[in-house]
Amino acid sequence: MFSWLSRLSSLKFTLAGMILLGIGAGLSYGNPVDISVWVLIVPLALLAINLAAAILTNPRINRQPGLLIFHICLFTTVVLAGVGRLTHLDAHMELALGQEFHQNLMLEVRKGPWHSGNLDKVAFTQGRYTVDYAVGLRRGLTHNEVFVPDTAGRLVSQDVGDDRPLVIERYRFYTTFNKGFSPILTWMPDQGQPITGRINMPAYPLYDYKQDNRWTPPGTNEEIKFWLQLDTGLTMEEDWVLDGRNATAVLIVTSEDQRIELKLGEQTRLEHGVLRYDDLTTWMGYRVFYDPTIQWLFFVTVAGVFGLSHFFWVKLNLQPWMDEDEVDVDESAEQVVSKKTGV
Amino acid sequence: MNSIVAEQPWLWAGLGSYFIATLAAMWGVSPRSQNSPLVVNKKHEKLVLGFIVFGVLLLSAAIIARWIRIGHGPWISLFELLMSQMWSLGLVFAALYWRLPGLRPSAVIVLPVMWILGTWVLALEPGISHFPATYYNSWKWVHVGLGKMFLALLLAGVGLGGVMILRTTQRGKTWFRAMPSNMIIDKLAWRLMMLALVFDSLMLIAGGVWAQDAWGRYWAWDALETSAFLTWLFLAIGLHVRLSYKVPAWVSGAIIIGIFAMAFSTYFGMPYLSPSAHKGMV
Repeated sequence: MFSWLSRLSSLKFTLAGMILLGIGAGLSYGNPVDISVWVLIVPLALLAINLAAAILTNPRINRQPGLLIFHICLFTTVVLAGVGRLTHLDAHMELALGQEFHQNLMLEVRKGPWHSGNLDKVAFTQGRYTVDYAVGLRRGLTHNEVFVPDTAGRLVSQDVGDDRPLVIERYRFYTTFNKGFSPILTWMPDQGQPITGRINMPAYPLYDYKQDNRWTPPGTNEEIKFWLQLDTGLTMEEDWVLDGRNATAVLIVTSEDQRIELKLGEQTRLEHGVLRYDDLTTWMGYRVFYDPTIQWLFFVTVAGVFGLSHFFWVKLNLQPWMDEDEVDVDESAEQVVSKKTGV
Repeated sequence: MNSIVAEQPWLWAGLGSYFIATLAAMWGVSPRSQNSPLVVNKKHEKLVLGFIVFGVLLLSAAIIARWIRIGHGPWISLFELLMSQMWSLGLVFAALYWRLPGLRPSAVIVLPVMWILGTWVLALEPGISHFPATYYNSWKWVHVGLGKMFLALLLAGVGLGGVMILRTTQRGKTWFRAMPSNMIIDKLAWRLMMLALVFDSLMLIAGGVWAQDAWGRYWAWDALETSAFLTWLFLAIGLHVRLSYKVPAWVSGAIIIGIFAMAFSTYFGMPYLSPSAHKGMV
């Protein structure tokens, strides 16, 4: 048993695992879709087995506290990263001004099989936002207001944006470059109840040139095309702030052979009903991230580095960095044989 | 013709100072000058150290002048990153040069390597760079600071690795006659590599925290992250090999230089070769 473990802890095995991991990492560059995640999992698993065996059997590791801590932490890091992938959740979401978060709003949801967060306890409401742009339309700080209920149920304003995510129940909501405008429309069909909703236009100002979208009223096959002609004060020449309060827009509606320009509050008669342009609002695109292991990963990796530092500290203090009498040597230095060996 | 901006005279003066330090270091190892009292008395080492430190001070002035001019630190464009690296590499090497006398002749290798950056920065436009929103994060300081220490320790290791390789020739043996035996040099070089591994590991952790805040993920195998991980892995492999096997001094030196080459491409290649290196850059 012991010799079997010793063989598993072989350094040659370690080096082979590291080289395989290097190849896997190189192949994983940029997360290509045609490269399986197994190119990383296999070498990591091999290294984990090798490391566990080395921790149990190799006195060079298990009799030196610093090195032992480092290798245990390295092992734990790999395990935590694996658990993180099994429990994670990644998604995108668009929330309009005044809209409350609901998990059904999340798109492109990717989650691990063990994901079991309290998403149903996440509650917040989207507020207004501003985004600073420097000359040349280079994005600066985002100030995005959200309203989060406190313990008494009162909505408390919070400013989030960029590297300041909204964190609720370990779910992290990051603002993104993906944000824009939405006309709020009321559709009054010839038959049935009126419905009010909004149409999110493409990201702004990224797609300033194509603020269009289309919608088919329920129960009809009449596709309506919308084009939002925005006036936001957008300029490339000087600093500019994207602020929904400073924006106005004319909505151009195209259906069949009709083309109508609507200003706020105006309506038009289409084939199957009346369409009214009620308001102009904004939406913010979020990236949603959940991984319950990230704090643990941080502490474990830092502990590992401290273990490594301790090992080096002890090792380096056992011998002087450089003996003074060994410094001023002459041409015969090549032949000098030092009794000191190793690093 | 482009006008000269505030930081350029300081930059040129700083590089000039490094250049004088390089010449003094070369003079110190030159067999022709070995009977010169300045070389025999090691006064040239004071000259080398003095000009490196003076260069660091001048580059500090260049960085401050640019910071005042464009409103943010040297974080974004290649011009400012190279300038900042010249500063930190000089600073750390000056400290090692001062504290570890046996390493001093290796300045004839270290300083010319720094000149790769020095020549490169002279070829770049000092245009104003945009400061992305994600760069307001405080972890940037930790990440970048640790990264600078890492690269500087690697560079010092490269100097010693280069000595071990050059000593395979008669000329190299003559140049580095004032240095300890290869065994001592090798030991010192790998001690620097050990420290480099600590700083590299901490840099990756700090980078992960910053990336989590900035882009909503701590690791995504983007170009820079992949390259940085491979550098860490190469360093770990190198240390395992060095600690476990007897390797000839020149091989040991070649391993160190290989690790440095990987780190160098991570720092100065990946962020500019790949448009998607770090999303926050654009």
